[in-house]
Amino acid sequence: MKWLDQITENTSRSIAQRTSRRGFLGKVAGLLAGGAASVPLLPVARADEHSNPHPVESGDVNSCDYWRYCAIDGFLCGCCGGSMNSCPPGTEMSPITWIGTCENPEDGKSYIISYNDCCGKSSCGNCLCMRSEGDRPVYRPNQSNDLNWCLGTKSNVYNCSTAIVIGTALDK
Amino acid sequence: MATLKYLPLALLVPGFGAMADEHRARVNYQIHCQGCHLPDASGFPGKVPRMNDFVGYFLHSREGREFLVRVPGVSASRMSDEDITEVMNWLLTTFSPGQLPESFEPFTVSEVAVLREQREDDPERTRVRILRQIAADVPELASELARADD
Repeated sequence: MKWLDQITENTSRSIAQRTSRRGFLGKVAGLLAGGAASVPLLPVARADEHSNPHPVESGDVNSCDYWRYCAIDGFLCGCCGGSMNSCPPGTEMSPITWIGTCENPEDGKSYIISYNDCCGKSSCGNCLCMRSEGDRPVYRPNQSNDLNWCLGTKSNVYNCSTAIVIGTALDK
Repeated sequence: MATLKYLPLALLVPGFGAMADEHRARVNYQIHCQGCHLPDASGFPGKVPRMNDFVGYFLHSREGREFLVRVPGVSASRMSDEDITEVMNWLLTTFSPGQLPESFEPFTVSEVAVLREQREDDPERTRVRILRQIAADVPELASELARADD
């Protein structure tokens, strides 16, 4: 094992000659401070990139009457282990989606809502909501919510629907 | 700074800046198109055609240009002729400026109004045929199609 001691000693001496303890500590501190500051910035930067609005909202998010659900047809993910904005564990959000606009009673503005379905587990069965305002027959597929929108996911088994605010609609 | 935001599009498309509203075009894209074509127009292989860095190739032929308005998603849209025209010109110059021919002229409302009445019955087959024809004159598209076939 003498050779191992020799390598370790040489490496340590070489590092000691080239660096200072203060420099090392400074770098570690910088990494910690810089790392801590940059990690939380990521989601903010992403949100800005897509410029998703964050309207003031009120009401029961797991009730069909909630403003975001004006054009929904399905089970609320908030009642299925997920939330309005996220899928329950074990399911995958479909990128291809049904999109509508709903008026937020808090500020009277219309927002664009993306009803991305969560897929990969059988139907959740909780909080079935069918408000379907703006829904069109299936021969207009991009404006119909009667379709299975689990497209582009590994599984086409429908579990529940999210309701994500993706933009501000135009003034009428 | 709002003026600066509109400047690039206005420079790219003569007349677009004067008539069109980029914000309105983007919102209409979000409501009527991006559910399937996705926010960055990347589409989904085998299900939804990609427009990003691609759709501009269609403007290299008259039939290709007409096809873009005749496809079901556009011709059967709830949007008015004016809004469709605005969205078409916006998405071409936003998502695929590099593929547009130098001679590109923006769509006009009267052109869109006529074309959307001639709905395409077999978009899949027509799309492939038109792209092959254009690829004969546009080597970039030819290599793109060859890569897709691999």
